[in-house]
Order: sequence, then structure tokens, then C-alpha cells
Amino acid sequence: MVVMLACSLIGTESVSLKAVCRGVSEKATVNPDYEIFIKVRLPRIILAAIVGAALASSGVVFQALLRNPLADPYILGISSGAGLGTVIAVISGINWTLWGRSPIALFAFAGALGTVWLVWFISRLTGKFHVTGLLLAGVVVNAFFSAVIMFLTSVAKGQEIHATIFWLMGNMTEEDFFVLWMGAGCVLVGILILFNISPQLNVLSFGEEDAKSIGVNTARIHTIAFAVAAFMTAVAVSLSGLIGFVGLVIPHGVRLVFGPDHRQLFPLSSIIGAIFLVAADTLARVIIAPAQLPVGVLTAIVGGPFFLVLLIKYSKKIGWLG
Amino acid sequence: MSAIEVDNLSFGYTPQSMILKDISFDVKSGTFLAIAGPNGAGKSTLLNLMCGILISKSGTIRIDSKTIESYKTEALAKKVAVVRQEFVPVFGFSVIETVLMARTPYFNTFGFEDKADKQIVNEALQATDTTRFAMRPLGNLSGGERQRVFIARALAQDTPILLLDEPTSFLDLKHQVKIYDLLKSAQLEKGKTIVAVTHDINLAAQYCDEILLLREHTISPTELQNNSQTDQNYYIGKTKDIFTPEQVEKVFGVRTFAGTVGQEKFFIPLGKLAKDTTKINDKPNSSPSK
Repeated sequence: MVVMLACSLIGTESVSLKAVCRGVSEKATVNPDYEIFIKVRLPRIILAAIVGAALASSGVVFQALLRNPLADPYILGISSGAGLGTVIAVISGINWTLWGRSPIALFAFAGALGTVWLVWFISRLTGKFHVTGLLLAGVVVNAFFSAVIMFLTSVAKGQEIHATIFWLMGNMTEEDFFVLWMGAGCVLVGILILFNISPQLNVLSFGEEDAKSIGVNTARIHTIAFAVAAFMTAVAVSLSGLIGFVGLVIPHGVRLVFGPDHRQLFPLSSIIGAIFLVAADTLARVIIAPAQLPVGVLTAIVGGPFFLVLLIKYSKKIGWLG
Repeated sequence: MSAIEVDNLSFGYTPQSMILKDISFDVKSGTFLAIAGPNGAGKSTLLNLMCGILISKSGTIRIDSKTIESYKTEALAKKVAVVRQEFVPVFGFSVIETVLMARTPYFNTFGFEDKADKQIVNEALQATDTTRFAMRPLGNLSGGERQRVFIARALAQDTPILLLDEPTSFLDLKHQVKIYDLLKSAQLEKGKTIVAVTHDINLAAQYCDEILLLREHTISPTELQNNSQTDQNYYIGKTKDIFTPEQVEKVFGVRTFAGTVGQEKFFIPLGKLAKDTTKINDKPNSSPSK
């Protein structure tokens, strides 16, 4: 909360907290500080917090389910699915609106969820839950959809495509509070569900057979965790485009410092993920002000070295790298 | 009373080759049973059937007089605990966290343990002599220490039945004996029913009440139809009746030297170069057999 407040005050136009407070009390007069705070900064910070929490906690899920430290929320093709949805929306030239908004985000959302469902479905054809099957299906679908996106963008003409690509690179502009609260609600419910099944996810780290003999209904837990994580990632992607690194590095960082118990991992990762993305986004706004960097660039530039320091400092202690 | 009843159980991973055929036996409550036999005889398969990981289409397994299929995963985990061979190293869980996971079915609605759970976990750690490295991550332990942790986890599940898949593989002599001592005391003091798959027939002969000796038996469907029972494919009974030199040689397909120490029988497998020995202090220049 403190970070969110502090970040809301930093920006191209410096805003003083005093002026904002004054704005709350005297509604009638026009107060530029208050306007910037409520209409620009606040939504952006809420958005960054939602997306950060969603990506970090679904990163935890994918790493646990796939028992693979390289897993992140995008590993099963969600990114290319969202991208494809967006490209299709732009190319088909739809110009209807939904509640006065462009339906691009909706297409991205549908694309993301559709892809995950496809990957899940393909891997299910092999019989049961196979980590390798799921990963391979994800990689193949990802590659296939990326190729389709490339194909469509090269055939299509016009500027919109470039706009789409930029949108996908991660943007943090969403001023509609209704959409924000919807997103926040989805993510909060998602995190609560995940927290609820976290003891079972702990046991699943030891493999499916072990988990079964301890009394975990593995098929049920797999399905719930997978569906919730995919849904949260889809929400995040359709709200802000693709922001890499948060979903990969935050879970690992939290695990390195606080240990692997999922019961702490979910609350801590979502809080730290939210703080991290809010901070990164604030930096992205001010670092080359008045221009703005894509936030994904910053998450990697700041997060990468920071994570390496954690890795070197803690990996010996926990002995999980072998 | 029987803890485990197996009736006419057959199982094959493919319909073409059956690994287990028509096996029937009972494990009385509080018995220590060893399953022995050559590689590929279906020992681990049988164990996986008995804990519900594999389901057989023919024959039944009853745990506490109820068929294994009728148990929900969680209910079965309150009856049967399993210690497996393989270890999947992930995410650096510590020893105590690992053992505590055994209590997952008993956790409260918020997913946390209560005092009773902690008490049971502490007892399990003490019984397996793992308390002193309870805080260390699993990945930093030696094979013997880790094996004891997994036995501690199985004990913390607090089940009447304990299944183990080769609990002493990779362990040195001292740790092998320690593990069997530990299992024996769990049997005698807590009245647990223990079934252990093992290659070490000498330790099994020392510690187990009964032996199930499986032969390698891969049969074709035609044989199954004709039901041409040429020979018995398994033997079960009291340890002293099952572990006879003839039977061991027949099942494992290797010459052995059999001797006794006090009450206990022991077997030493003999290689090609080994002399035919009938007594411990045989003359070194006696003629090789066969």
C-alpha cells in the first residue's frame, strides 16, 4: 500500500500528496493534482498491482504443476493465443464496441483461454496428466500460433497491426474502473482458490503417485490449479498485454528467500509480484520522462540482476538446484 | 483378521503379456510380509496394485474387507501408507515440511496443521532418528537419511498398513539393519501390517514373518485361455517354509550357498567361478560343480 501510494505521486508531473488531499475535500474547484491522481495514476497503479499479483501467483502454479523451474504463465501458449486473438480482432476490422470499448481485449482473452484449453485437450489425448506431454503440446501450439500471427501480419496491411504489436508488448493504460474492479475481483478469487489447495500442491511436488498415496485427488487438483492459473493469466494478458519475467522470477525469488511451502508462496508471491510491477511501471514512466518505456523492458532489466543475486546468495542454502 | 486380501488377481500392462496371474493371498493384521523374486516378476506392480495406483481388471484386492476401488483417495491414504524408491527433487522442501505433508488429509479448512499433527510428526521424526536434521532440505541428505525421512512421512500418515518398495536399496549394511529394526518395531509396538518388496532375501528371512515369492511369469493369452498351469508362479507362507535352497534356486535361477546362523537361514548367490560349497569351511580345491 505504501509503495502504491508513493508510486502514485511520482511521475512526469509531480503531484503533491497535500494537494490531492485537498482535492478530496474541495470537490467543486478544479484541482490538477487531484485529477491526475484519480484519473491517471490510480487506475494505472491498481492495474499494475492486479497484473503483478496474477502473473506471480499463476507462475507459482505452473512451476508446481509442471515441476519445472523454467515454467512461467506463458509457457503453455497463452501469449501466442492472446496475440492471435488480438491480430484477428484487428484484421477482421471489427468496429463494434462493447460498453463503449474496443473488443480487442476480449479477443485477447478468448484467444488466451482457447489456446490453453486446446493445449490441455491435446495433452489429455495421451491418456492422463503427463508433464512432458503438456509441455510439448504447449510448445508446439505456441510455435504454430506464432507462425500464424507472423503470416497474418505479413499479409495484412495498414498501421493497426503495428499498434497491435505494441499493445502486446505490454501497456498499462486502463482507465475504466469497472474493468479494473472486475479484473481485481477475478484475481482475488483466483488467489483465494489457489491458497485453498496449496497443501495439496505441496504434496504434488513429490510426484503424482506420492501425492495419491498421501491422499490427494491429483486429477481434481490438477484441473482446478490449471484452470485458475490459466484464467488469471488470461485476465492479466487481456488487461495489459504481455509482461514477461514477473511470472518466472517472482515465484523463484520468493521460494529462494521464504521457502517452498505453497501456503506462504501464494500470498507472498502475489503481494511481492504486485509491488514489483507497480514499482517497475513507475520507473518505466519516469526513467526517460516525458517518454515512457514499455514496462516489460524494465521488469527484465531490473528483475534479472536482482534475481541472479538472490540465486547466488540462497541456492547453496536450500540445495534445490542439485 | 486380514488387513489385505488378494483374490485371483491378474495384471498386465498390455493384454499380450500378463505379469501377474491368478494370485491369491491374505495378509493377516500385524504381519510383516516380504515380497521377493527376480527382476520383472511383478513385485513393484503388485505393490502399486495394493495401494491403488494401478487398478486391475481381473481379481479383487480388499483393504480391511472393503474393495480397494470403493475407497476415495483420501480414505485410502488413511489406511495405507507407501514408501517408494524414486525421489523427485523439487523446490527444496525441508525434512520437517516433507514429513508434515503426510498430515494433509487431516489439515483444517485453512490448510494448516494442528497440535496433534505436530505431535505425530515429532514422534515419526524421533522413531526414524531424523529429528536432528529436521530443518535441512531434502536435497542435501544422503540416500540413507532421505530413506528414513520417507519412512517417517509414511509413519506420520498413521495408517494400519505400511507398504515399502525396496526400502534398503542403496543403503550400507548398518543402515539396512537400522531400517529393518525400525520397521520391526513399528510392527511389534504399533501393530502395523507391513509389506515390503525386497531383493535382500537374507534380511527378509531375518525380519519377516511371511514371504511371498514371485516367479518371473510372462504368459501369452493363449496360455491364459488354455489355463495350462505348468508350474506354480508364486509361493507364499511362513518364512522358513518358503526360503528353502531348492525354492530360492528355482525362483531366482541361480546357484546359492545356503547356511544357517542360529535360527536364521542365509543364502549367498554363487557365480560361475564359485566352487561348489556345501559347508562353510569347505576345502578350496574341491571340484567345481556343473
